[in-house]
Amino acid sequence: MRKTWKGLGFAAISLLLVLQIACGGSGTKNSDAGASAPAESSGQASASADNGGNSGNGGKKIKLKFYDFHTEAEEKFFRGLVDEYNKIQDKVEIEYSTFNQGDYTTTKLPTAFASGEGPDIYMISPGDFMKFAKSGLMADLTPYFPEGAKEDFLPASLDAVTVDNKIMALPFELELLGLYYNEDMLKAANVQVPKTWDELYAAAKKLTTNKVAGLILPPDKGPYFNFIWYPFLWQQGGNVLSADGTKSTFNTPETAKALDFWGRFFKEGLSPKKLQAGPWEIDHLGKKEAAMQIVGTWAINRAEEVFKDVPINVAPLPIPEGGKAATDAGGWKFAVNGKSANVEEAAKFVMWAFAGDPQRALKWCTEVKFAYSPRKSVVEAGKEIYSKGMRKVFTEQIYDSAIPEPRYPSEVLDVVGDAMQYVMYGKYDGAKAAEVSDPKINDALAKANK
Amino acid sequence: MTPKRISARTRNEWVTAYGFLLPNIVGLLVFVFIPIIYAFYASLHDWNALSPKVYAGWANYRELLHDDEWWASVRKTLTFSVVYVPLLFMSSLLSAVMLNAIRGRASGVVRTMFLMPFAITSVISAIIGMFMLDPRNGAVNHILELLGGSPQQFLASTSQAMFSIAGVILWINVGYNMIIFLSAMKEIPRDYYEAAEIDGATGWKSFRYITLPLLKETSTFILIVTTIGSFQALEQILVMTDGGPMNSTQVSVLYIFKQGFDMLNMGYASALAFVLFLIIFCLSLFQLKLLSSKKEGV
Repeated sequence: MRKTWKGLGFAAISLLLVLQIACGGSGTKNSDAGASAPAESSGQASASADNGGNSGNGGKKIKLKFYDFHTEAEEKFFRGLVDEYNKIQDKVEIEYSTFNQGDYTTTKLPTAFASGEGPDIYMISPGDFMKFAKSGLMADLTPYFPEGAKEDFLPASLDAVTVDNKIMALPFELELLGLYYNEDMLKAANVQVPKTWDELYAAAKKLTTNKVAGLILPPDKGPYFNFIWYPFLWQQGGNVLSADGTKSTFNTPETAKALDFWGRFFKEGLSPKKLQAGPWEIDHLGKKEAAMQIVGTWAINRAEEVFKDVPINVAPLPIPEGGKAATDAGGWKFAVNGKSANVEEAAKFVMWAFAGDPQRALKWCTEVKFAYSPRKSVVEAGKEIYSKGMRKVFTEQIYDSAIPEPRYPSEVLDVVGDAMQYVMYGKYDGAKAAEVSDPKINDALAKANK
Repeated sequence: MTPKRISARTRNEWVTAYGFLLPNIVGLLVFVFIPIIYAFYASLHDWNALSPKVYAGWANYRELLHDDEWWASVRKTLTFSVVYVPLLFMSSLLSAVMLNAIRGRASGVVRTMFLMPFAITSVISAIIGMFMLDPRNGAVNHILELLGGSPQQFLASTSQAMFSIAGVILWINVGYNMIIFLSAMKEIPRDYYEAAEIDGATGWKSFRYITLPLLKETSTFILIVTTIGSFQALEQILVMTDGGPMNSTQVSVLYIFKQGFDMLNMGYASALAFVLFLIIFCLSLFQLKLLSSKKEGV
């Protein structure tokens, strides 16, 4: 009998271990506030989004969950922001959790919402915006803007987050694209900084060697791939969808031209089809593996700090003959869970963080990273910083041509990405790729909107 | 008729045995059977994981019948499987035969070398593969150039990417399968070979008529497990090509992953996953039947 009990005991321990492994290790890094909160409070916090938290329950603080995907200095900034907010008021306590960016949008957010444990406050990219907005997971933030704050935002930045006249998220950064280049390489090859498409192609051709890529463009499908290509379409007045976003406008000569222009760099070996570092990393220029690269404002700090010995400069994106300047303005948005029982409290924090005192927004855009604020007052307050080094080019020559990144559904992004690759790999020319993709975009729209 | 009495000792052994099995049974229930049932339930719904499920009947299954991208991904999976499984089988068997011939300390060193890639996590091995196969700076192209060949695009080529991925996954798994073959070879009594030698059998003949037939059970196991594994390959493909270039490496599991997590079509992704499960299940049964009927015929 003793043997049996021994066996059962061993089996029970094994079972416990299995369960422990199964339940542990979410890969989350909780904030100090969250980590120091008693276990009981954490349990209440989990329920806050769906069950109403503990507002008005004996003077206890309302617990709000805030999810994002930042690391290092950016994580530190948001952690500091949360700590400060938790200290300056006594109604709400925010618990900040940050995740690996890859997991954040693909698995963490959807599974958290699917299991009813979604955060009260979270960040969302333009590509996922409509899906979340349509699922009721974004609260209307219009009533919570402080007096006069709405007018301070660039109208285009608010239009990009408005659905049925409701502002569903708060834009807090605009990341613009430019053509970065190595001054020495261009000088050595006697190449002027390209201003037109023809000049860009000729420069890339002249600068490409066995060791150096003429121009770095993203080669792999995904939202970033499309993000870099859109300006070439917009510069000619083209667009993927109609203004109301209901039908495809892809099958046009403008699309064909933009696709052919893009594909030519890859077909002729001027842009590598495979990259070791991410196409968004300025390291390609910094390590002198490339002469030119289209990348965003976020690259400036790294170029200045890590690659200060490399003469990197930036210019506006080249335009086609008869075209007009256009660049993409990307950036994540702050959203409040529409199904949260504490929408008002969550919205107040969001507004406090990025629609209130311009200094917080300025710190994020100029010290933590480099981006433009969608608020005129913030750009004005940071005038000195915004005219320093490469930033001056963005402020004076690029900023005015910014168009917010479109919030197309993933299905549409996928079809556009396919069209780009058809041309890159020589399956079709631009016109044929535009023609075959047009009905697919309409199908994708129908599927996404059902 | 009196019921057969079970002795206290037998009963205790049963309790102990089931006690040990319990964690696995619970694990299988919680992590395998319940998810399979739930996936089937979800596949009958229109569901984006963010909104409540809406019952859709067999609509997702009807949709997949006309989804060209899905069937293209199934073809890619089959291509991968057809390339990968025989290559893995033969290279594992060949390395096991060679290693079986090595005696002494060297055997342990070579065995460890073969097994080492298997100890690396799949993501790291995929990153190493990417560096090795880089068209501009990769070691493989440098070697090719040293040998007088021309550099290849590998993962950046629509025609080479799938084979390149198969090569990397093969490099990771060959050691593990080789060890299984080797263990089975060590179980074959030496007397058989000695008797064959007396009868004048050469090395090839004893391999053909002794080793191979006695490895049938192991071969069946390896073929079934690697075929299933080839249908489930995801991490390395996700890291090395993410399905590209031009969807040339978009295998079924990756397509399901994209439908589920990039596009949040969870209901549809569940239907695809369920169909893939059925395909693998039928293929494994067929394989098992084929191999066991051959066994009976021997």
